[in-house]
Amino acid sequence: MRREGNLGLAGWVFLSPWLISFLVFGLYPIVASFVLSFREYSPLAPQASRFIGLANYAEALHDGTFWHALGNTLSFTFGTLPFTTAIALALAVCLDKAFPGRTIFRAGFFLPTVVSVVVLSIVFKALYSPEGPLSGVLQGLGVTPPRWLLDPHTALPSIMAMDVWAASGYYMVIFLAGLKSIPAELYESAALDGAGAWRRFVGITLPMLRPTFLFVLVVNTIRSLQIFTEVFVMTRGGPLDSTLTVVYYLYDQAFYRFRLGYASAVAYLLFAVTLAISLLQVRWLKLAGAKE
Amino acid sequence: MTRTRMLWLTPVLLTMLFPLVWMVFISVQPMAGAALSLDAFRRAGFTLAHYVALFREAAFARYVFNSALVAALVVVANVLTAAIVGYALARSRNWGSRALTVAMLATLMLPKQVLMIPLYLVCARLGILDTYAALILPFAVDAFSIFLVRQYVTGLPTELEDAARVDGASEYRILGQIVFPLLRPALAVVAINAFLINWNSFLYPLIFVDSDRLRTLPVGLALFSQGEHGVDWGLLMAGSTISALPTLAVFLFFQRQILEGVVAGAEK
Repeated sequence: MRREGNLGLAGWVFLSPWLISFLVFGLYPIVASFVLSFREYSPLAPQASRFIGLANYAEALHDGTFWHALGNTLSFTFGTLPFTTAIALALAVCLDKAFPGRTIFRAGFFLPTVVSVVVLSIVFKALYSPEGPLSGVLQGLGVTPPRWLLDPHTALPSIMAMDVWAASGYYMVIFLAGLKSIPAELYESAALDGAGAWRRFVGITLPMLRPTFLFVLVVNTIRSLQIFTEVFVMTRGGPLDSTLTVVYYLYDQAFYRFRLGYASAVAYLLFAVTLAISLLQVRWLKLAGAKE
Repeated sequence: MTRTRMLWLTPVLLTMLFPLVWMVFISVQPMAGAALSLDAFRRAGFTLAHYVALFREAAFARYVFNSALVAALVVVANVLTAAIVGYALARSRNWGSRALTVAMLATLMLPKQVLMIPLYLVCARLGILDTYAALILPFAVDAFSIFLVRQYVTGLPTELEDAARVDGASEYRILGQIVFPLLRPALAVVAINAFLINWNSFLYPLIFVDSDRLRTLPVGLALFSQGEHGVDWGLLMAGSTISALPTLAVFLFFQRQILEGVVAGAEK
């Protein structure tokens, strides 16, 4: 029984790829960017870098554009979350019980998830174009179509609609796994007690899915708060900054204005917002669970 | 009951798939002007001219090559490191492996926008900005892949390994000849996930690489779609279709592994 459950020196050799990668591309960058967020730093003039305390954070908090970008990002996140979650859950409930063609439907709804967001954004930019099919259908129905991505009032909602479309299939798969883990006996005994389909859904399915809901909400929130690619491809933040998101703002500050220190501070502010919202969601769902 | 379900789910599915079908449709339409309008359906034709034109353009063929090369190397690196590290994490009980497991879970939760700028600076410091290395090295070891393998190894019996140890086999031989073949199902999930993520990756290739000849397909397409002299939708949709095809094919062949990967992510 030598070295029970221990690989000895070989164990460390095996762990080394992860250790090196974690130190070089994980721990070091995190620490470095935290330090950087207190400095003024431009890659064009690295020797002029200097410590400026909390000035980067103060500047962001006094910058109207930052708040505007944060507002857009929060609208995007909380505007899409209910729709994505509801559609994903509805699809999952429809596909939970076996019926002919179920795997085809499941695959079909999941399909957009495997396609690059760049491609999806290009396709939706075309769909939303003034001469595109969406406007064409509305015109055919005698409705004046909105100007979609070209109008500051409709640009962000247009991107949100695309995101709901693109993301629902992914969360559907997670809800399907959650539904499968609910013991069938619960439904059987409820049915014996005379509970109808809706009562069983509200009384059994929803409470039993709480961990799944928590995961879906938190993961989708974290992802949505980082929305970038859609904006880059479809609008570049315009028109009139109406689709400017925090990560796009951060990208612009870092790689067009070369203000890496300031951009790092913005990144940490977004991280703080993300963390706060995730913790609130966890608490909220725990409280909802405790009430029952 | 199930009949009706199919009847109303079918139009829902078709609506959801319309954008992708339309993408392929536009990519094979001959006409130039008003390509996007509803009229296009009435005048539908077929041509591969956009695809031919696309590959005649040296830059585009290069994007496809770059994407394929980078994805292949990242997949191989991911599979190898996930197998080695995941096995070690599952089988060693020293403080290091426990600390590493915690650190790994922490990285999984870290939003990548916090890492965007520092990773850029690390690549600059290493002198690999604007090279293939910047597209590969930071992604060669993936925490989630390691985690998947670790979970899989934990479920494997240790008898085979112990027997080999009694016979005097070295730890390296045990890993290479006994454990590695057993990991195939988990490594398939790792490889497929790594391919999908890397082939579609956009943000990091966008900021780590500047030269046109090193651009990957998503970056090339995104920048092409913002061309200054108007957009050629036929070309763009052909390019988009080419970008989507490999992932769609992988999905159709490995549906089970991909959906398993999604669920494994949710259960961690």
